Parts: sequence; structure tokens; C-alpha cells
Amino acid sequence: MTTLSMIDLPRNAACRCLLADGRTVTVTASRRPRANRADVKCSVPNAPAIAERMQQVVRLARHTETRLDSRDQVVLSMDLAPDAGQRHWELAAVLADRMVRGLYPPQGGAPGAGTVLACAQGWSDRWHLGQVNDATVGDTAIGHLGALSGHADPASAVSSVRAWFPLHSGGINDALAWVEVSVFAIEEGAGGGEEETIAAPGLDLAGQQDVRHTLAGARHFDGRGLGRWRTVVQFGQPRFHGGSYQLALVMADRLARGREFVPRGRLIATGMSSAWHAGVVETVEGREPKLALIAGLAGPGDRVLLPGAWQDALPPGFAAALGQAGASVACIDRIGMI
Amino acid sequence: MGWFSLRRTPAALAAAVDDLGTGLIALRRGAGDMAPPGTVVVVFNPAGQARRGAAGKVTCASGDTAFCFHPGPYTVDITPFAAAPEWGLRLRFVIDAANPHVPQQRFDLYLCAEVVPDLDRLPLTRLAAAMQGAVQSALAHGALDLPPCTALVEWHAFRAGLNQLLYTRFGVTVDDCVPVDLGDQVDFAAVLQARAQQAAIDEQAALPAAPLQPELHSMSALPPPDVPDVSEVPGVPGIPEVSVTARPPGTQSGAAQPAAAPAAGADAAGLRRLFLELPAVSRDLRLLDLPAGQALFQQHQALLLRLGMASLNVDTMPTLGWAAPDQPLDASGQARRAGATRIAVGALDEAWALLARLQRAEAGDWPALLDDADRMCANLETGLALRRAPHGEPREPAL
Repeated sequence: MTTLSMIDLPRNAACRCLLADGRTVTVTASRRPRANRADVKCSVPNAPAIAERMQQVVRLARHTETRLDSRDQVVLSMDLAPDAGQRHWELAAVLADRMVRGLYPPQGGAPGAGTVLACAQGWSDRWHLGQVNDATVGDTAIGHLGALSGHADPASAVSSVRAWFPLHSGGINDALAWVEVSVFAIEEGAGGGEEETIAAPGLDLAGQQDVRHTLAGARHFDGRGLGRWRTVVQFGQPRFHGGSYQLALVMADRLARGREFVPRGRLIATGMSSAWHAGVVETVEGREPKLALIAGLAGPGDRVLLPGAWQDALPPGFAAALGQAGASVACIDRIGMI
Repeated sequence: MGWFSLRRTPAALAAAVDDLGTGLIALRRGAGDMAPPGTVVVVFNPAGQARRGAAGKVTCASGDTAFCFHPGPYTVDITPFAAAPEWGLRLRFVIDAANPHVPQQRFDLYLCAEVVPDLDRLPLTRLAAAMQGAVQSALAHGALDLPPCTALVEWHAFRAGLNQLLYTRFGVTVDDCVPVDLGDQVDFAAVLQARAQQAAIDEQAALPAAPLQPELHSMSALPPPDVPDVSEVPGVPGIPEVSVTARPPGTQSGAAQPAAAPAAGADAAGLRRLFLELPAVSRDLRLLDLPAGQALFQQHQALLLRLGMASLNVDTMPTLGWAAPDQPLDASGQARRAGATRIAVGALDEAWALLARLQRAEAGDWPALLDDADRMCANLETGLALRRAPHGEPREPAL
């Protein structure tokens, strides 16, 4: 029973966009009772054509949402008019429309999300499918609106899923880092051994070996998925030590291959194993700072997976606090059903 | 007159009767037909009221519609997440004996509202597709939670919500549900390969995608239209349909009938569902046990009033094909109106899901759920207002 409630949302939101000519445009969205007006209204100074395009873009992008709410009108405006051929503001308009309705970023997401403006560039001809071209949000590249919460693009032939894991680096630099697994179907038995079909560009040699070994082991445990996939693993932050990313990697791989229940929000996991072929999850270091980080960053719909050994050491009220934020937590000894 | 229809050819009929209880849930019967033993007979009168009877020779008056259904048990596999086709749930359900405490059995209402208009039988696949759509949308809205690596406590909560949802929405009783690996039936790798081939074909065609012009986005809670393949339905039902959609008298003018748009059938079926189900859902909402408190009581009353007004709105809905007397509506206008009906039907589906949640809610959940009910009502009213509007979306007032 964790439905996002619109009761305590801000009535305004803004998203910036860096245009190709070096100017920064701010898209401001505000929400008001609809009262039989249009659902989206846009205004751009001295450029009615761009306002019309913005309304079309926002309406098309709303097709990818599950929750229809016709109670509010969203009014979008730009503080300056981009050039007529310029389209990189489209993603900023879509994100501003989602922010003001509480769909992005997750409430209680990034600390100080209300004060620091998001910055996004991107355009698309297929907004109704949620696909975006040349898109960056903050400093992260995305190809699909669902990638903001790690989901795969349902219309693409490559299934890419992101999962997040906490990176502990001495307190102030703690952050959630993501790992992305992209799988592409190949003919059965086309690619030699399982480990040869897995690539992890950006990692050093030992890291690549580790990733390959982990994924191959977990696919052995799964039983299916051996020899069917070409896999690329990417990390948002490739410079780290330790193996606490392994559970996030394995879960992202299972989600990408369509063999795991899908969380509504992000999947945040920490845990490693010396026996992935048996599906066992073992504990990792840095429990307190990682738990504190997760408690601060989890948002509605997020799923937090922790090693089973942490079950008894969770701070009191940890699960309840996550539940308040709309997230859920499980401490697991093994991956798989139940 | 029904002697020559395919429905009554002995071979097809015998096959269908044998299939009852396995691949077929319900089959339409005419007056005097035999209902096979083990089945239950439901007779709908033209007003949509149902009465049940025992198996045997079907007796019904002219204008009545009779079905016989087999109570099961049935086993289906559904996919709770469209993005995870290899991970499913195996449900075993039955259609229970009539509950004497309610004036109308939910399964009878389902048959009457969603099966009668276009089918003379209810295949198991159709009900399974509808159930899958309901479960997927409940999971997407957060009404049910089935996260990865589900703990046992979460699984029990999911099961309770699922049982209630399917009982409230379809009138079926789930007696077993287990997670199941569908890897033998579905190959996600093949699905992705098919997508790649489709993308290559699209690129060759090199048609620029026609920009869509949506009135309002209407993705909410809409399972893909599970209209069965035409080849699956041999024969046209011999019994004339009971038209329950109110028609204004103006439609009998002498002007040429407007060409029926392809959307007409879906629009009529949607309005028929709204006409039959809105009173039922608001009756069930009225029967809920409210927690104490004046504020909740007032919200509940306002909700019932709005549903009643929406029901009146449906009863008096203008016909699809006419913009005004003697002024036919063109095909694009008809498609727009049918889209508006789809929004309203989506809201109706949400209303059933919401009813299931309210029936299990604790006092603390009520404010959030009533807020959701407010949203559902607003969507319903928006859909109906757009369906009724003669000329597209009203223009934005200068504010």
C-alpha cells in the first residue's frame, strides 16, 4: 500500500538546459487545479511555435506513464526563447513536467533536490515510446526515460537495466553508483564460453575478470541464459575497490534477461559472494555508512537488497523509515524466488 | 432461425461442450438447449439482471440471454511484469457458488458486461489476459507489491491483495498461486531478436513516424485490447443483442447514416460496461465499513455522489456518429470520442481495483485511498466530458 500521494508536493519545479549556443534556458513548471482547462499549457516569450511543440512533446511523453491524473493543469514556461531549429530543451520540459507532479526525482531523493536545479539536454522523435537521443541528465547519459529508474526500454532490441550500489569513500563522498547490464540475443552456441561474451569496457583487467566470473557463475545458478546473450557491463563510476557491487550486477543481469520481478523504482543492492553458482549472498564491509546513505537516498518504489547477515544489525526503525519513503527492504541469503 | 448458424452444428457444439471446464469457461445456450452436467446456468434478462439455475434443460423467455459456465478449477499462467516475460505466476482459481449475501454475483456481472456484447463463449485465454492486465496495472500503480527477492511476509501481503483484487474484479476465487519459471514457454532472447528484425524492417520502410496528436494521455490501467481472434469465434450469436446504451431520439432523422468508424464497436462496448458496472461499483463502495470520523464520511459521500452523476452522464450519452442533428461526425472525431471512452473505462477498472483495496484497508490507509478515489473520479469525469464534447477539446480560457 505505497501509492505516491500528491498531497504534499511542491507546486513549482524547474529544470535547466544548456543550449548549443551556450545559453542556459530554465523550464519552469507549476501545477494548479485543472478546472476544465487543458491538461498542459506552455508559454515561451515571442515563440508560439516552440510553445506548441513543447505541449506536444510533454503530452507524448506522458504516454509512457502508468498513472493518469487529470486533476491538475501543468503550466510550463521558458525564461528565454531558444532558436527555432534547436531541440535539446525537450528533455528539460519533460522532466520539469514530471518533477512538478512528483514523478522525478523521487521524493526525498538527492539531498537538497529542491534547491539544486537539475540540468538535462536531449531531444527525440519518439517521445511516445520514451526514447531520447543525445540525452544527459546531470552528467549521466540515458537513452530512454525509464533509465532514470533503471528500467529497460520495452521497444528496444537491447535490454539495458541499471542497478545502484552504495560506494563508501570516507563519509562526505559517499554516493550511490550505478552498474548497467546490456544484453543482446545471439544464436545459441555462437560465442564460445560464457565469459567470452561478457565485456566490461572501462574496467582494469582484474575488474573485468571479476565481472565475467560473477555473471557466468550467477547464470549457471539460474540454469537458463547460458550461451544466449552478448553482454556489456558499464559502471557509472569505474574507479572503486572491492566486490560489493556484485549483487547489484547480478540482479541487473537477471532483470535485463527478463527473469526477475521488476521493482517500481530503482534497485539498490549491496552484497558479494564467493559462490554465485549456488546463488549465495555474503556480507560486505562498511555496514553503518552504507545503511545511512541508503536511508537518505531511497525514494518511492525503490527496492533495497542487503546481505542476510545484516538482518539482525539493522538500526531500529530502518525498515519503517524506508517504508515511509515508499521503499522496501529485504535481507537475503540467496537470490531467486522467495 | 438459429438452425443454420454454425454455433449449432453438432460437431462444433460437442467439441465446445467437451471443452467446458478446461479451455472454455462459459458457453451461450439458447432456450431448450441442454447444459451439460456439472455446469451452472446463468440467465440474463434484457435489463441485465441475472439468475442462476442448475444444469439441465435451459428455460428462458424470449429476449433473455442464457450462459452455462463450468466452475473449474482452472489453471493459468500470467506474467505480472511485461518487462519480465520469463518470470510468472501460476494461478489456480475456481468460480464459487453464489454468495447469498449479495444481490448480484460479480462473475455474472463480468459475463454480462464484458462477454455478452461480442462473444458467444468465454475462452480461458480471454479471462487470463484480462486478469493479467488487472494484475500488471495494480503492480504498476503500487496497489500490489511484488519486488525482486520477495520475502515471505511480502508474499503473503501480495497474495491477500491478489485474491481480493481478482474476487472483486472478476468474481473468481484464487485457491493457489505460486511463482513459476516460464522459461520453457517464453524465450526472451527470441523476443529481443524479433524486435531487432522488426526495427530493421521499419528502417527499410523508412516511413517517418506520424506524429501522434493525443487528447489526453490514456495509458492508465489499460491492458491491451484483448479482442480475440475472429477465427476463434465461429458463428454469429443467433440471439439479438440487448442494446442498453441510451440513444437520443434525434438519431432517427432521415439523413444518411454516418459511416461506422472502426472505433464504433469498442466505444459501444465501453459505454455498455460503464452503464452496467458503475451502479454496481458504487453500490459496493456504499457498503464499505468506514472508520470513524466526519471528514472521511463526507469524502465518502462526495465520492458516491460523483459516481452517481457519472452514471447519469453515461445513461444519457449522445451517440457516437453524430455531432449534431443532421450533422454526421467524421471518422477522426469518432476516433477521438472512442479514445475518451477508453479513458473512462480505464478509470472504471481503477475503481474496481480501488474497491478491492478499500475492502482490506486499515483506518490509516483511508485518506490516501480516498485521494486515489478522487483522482479516479476526476479521470472518469474527464473521459465522459470529452466523450460528450461536440467539437474536440474546449479551448483554453485566457488566464
